[in-house]
Amino acid sequence: MQNILSILFCLSLFYLAVTPRVKAYVAVLRFQGILLTILLMVPFVEQFSVFAVILPATLFIIKVIIIPRYINKIILELDIKRTIEPTIQQFNFLLLVIFSFIVIFLASSILSLTTNIETIPFASGFAAVTVGIFIIIFRKKLIVHVCGFLVLENGIFLFGTAVASDLPIMIEIGVLLDVFVVVFLMGIALNRISSTFEGFDVTILRRLKD
Amino acid sequence: MELTSILQGIISLVLILGLSPLFVGLVNKQKAIFTGRIGASLLQPYYELMKLIKKETINATSSSFISAVTPMINFIAVVIAAAMLPISFAHPLISFEGDIILFAYMLGLARFFQVLAAMDIGSSFEGMGAAREATFAVFAEPIFFFTVGSIAFISGFTSIYDIYHSIRLDNLSFVVFIIVCSISVFILAVTECSRMPVDDPNTHLELTMIHEVMILDNSGIDLFLYQYSSYIKLFIYVILEASFFYPFAVQSYTLGIIIFLVVIFILSAALAAVETITSRFKMKNIPHYLLFATAIGILNLLIYTFTR
Repeated sequence: MQNILSILFCLSLFYLAVTPRVKAYVAVLRFQGILLTILLMVPFVEQFSVFAVILPATLFIIKVIIIPRYINKIILELDIKRTIEPTIQQFNFLLLVIFSFIVIFLASSILSLTTNIETIPFASGFAAVTVGIFIIIFRKKLIVHVCGFLVLENGIFLFGTAVASDLPIMIEIGVLLDVFVVVFLMGIALNRISSTFEGFDVTILRRLKD
Repeated sequence: MELTSILQGIISLVLILGLSPLFVGLVNKQKAIFTGRIGASLLQPYYELMKLIKKETINATSSSFISAVTPMINFIAVVIAAAMLPISFAHPLISFEGDIILFAYMLGLARFFQVLAAMDIGSSFEGMGAAREATFAVFAEPIFFFTVGSIAFISGFTSIYDIYHSIRLDNLSFVVFIIVCSISVFILAVTECSRMPVDDPNTHLELTMIHEVMILDNSGIDLFLYQYSSYIKLFIYVILEASFFYPFAVQSYTLGIIIFLVVIFILSAALAAVETITSRFKMKNIPHYLLFATAIGILNLLIYTFTR
């Protein structure tokens, strides 16, 4: 089950690599949130405990409901254009992603020989971190950078479930809170930038020197 | 080979040849219904083929023997490819170790000659169409080899019939694998048969055509062979996809046939829906659409190579 969810996660990463729309990024974030929630719910089939529901529930509320809505609200308020404006060709970007997938799967299969990890979730988490970084590097829009950051964070989450089966719940919830605050701050910063300058193209921000 | 399996092969080949125009008719009818029209009859493709047979064949004065032989080579190559496909449980007419390669390259041969013939006529429009067809074929071929090839790799068989017989649905990860594969086979079908997001079968502007522009100068029996082989080609890819659901036929043959027909109907509805709701991609966006399908195949291969 964990493997299947990870494969779906990888598919959503490929979709991120080809889609030219900002709305699709938000939809993929929502989809990944749902996948992670299901991933956390899987152990409940065998044993149910009320305390353990807290983490999936918080995850669901923050990643599936609040953050996507907030990003959509920012997009509407600041009237951000629909395309993501990549700095390299989408085709090259996808090639880069495929290449990094191959390297990551190779690396994690070598790692799994000596250490006790689940290869597919580990590799998918790793891949999500890489794709998140690529998105931040190769896109011009700040709002897409936020999405890339969130993908990266989802990757770290998946990574965590692959390495240690149960992290302390308080730590996970703390991380979730951090992420939420970061996105919130990004939103405020975006608002500020847009009220001070025209648009928020990163290439223009480069000219801001003191 | 036993007599019954030869008989099964002949029957399934006849079914493929006979029903492929009906499938196109089905897709067109559903497309019409989705857009609020009544649409032509289900048998319209048959009437069109009948009409084309009766017409006179005229070749361009600048064309050589290639234009004369290509429609026949194209048609025969596609029919040979069709003879390798199992319909549900039936044994195909041609089946041997490694026939997936022959299958892919029979379709490749058909395309190669079609491109040659388009260049042969000497019209600039057709040269442009040939260039596009060849370009997109470069990206479409890896899709086939990475998806069907990865199933071959996993099952350990290299014949289409054996590959489909080794699929078992009791393993949950195999189910996801099949679903993922069927996404990329669907994209492959759309590309190879020049359907909507890649090419518009109904377009009337030469500059935007891919497949249709290559057969602009053909008429009569030549055009009949081209059209008919394109119908068969679409049906081949649909069967390729429907065969993923073969395991249901293990329990009973009737269940297998029913599920096969249902899947084909669902696929026709999916094709019609995609053609209704999407518009064509820009030409420059097509390569990464195709690379996406290849990426899915590579992902399958990676997962099953490194995690056994």
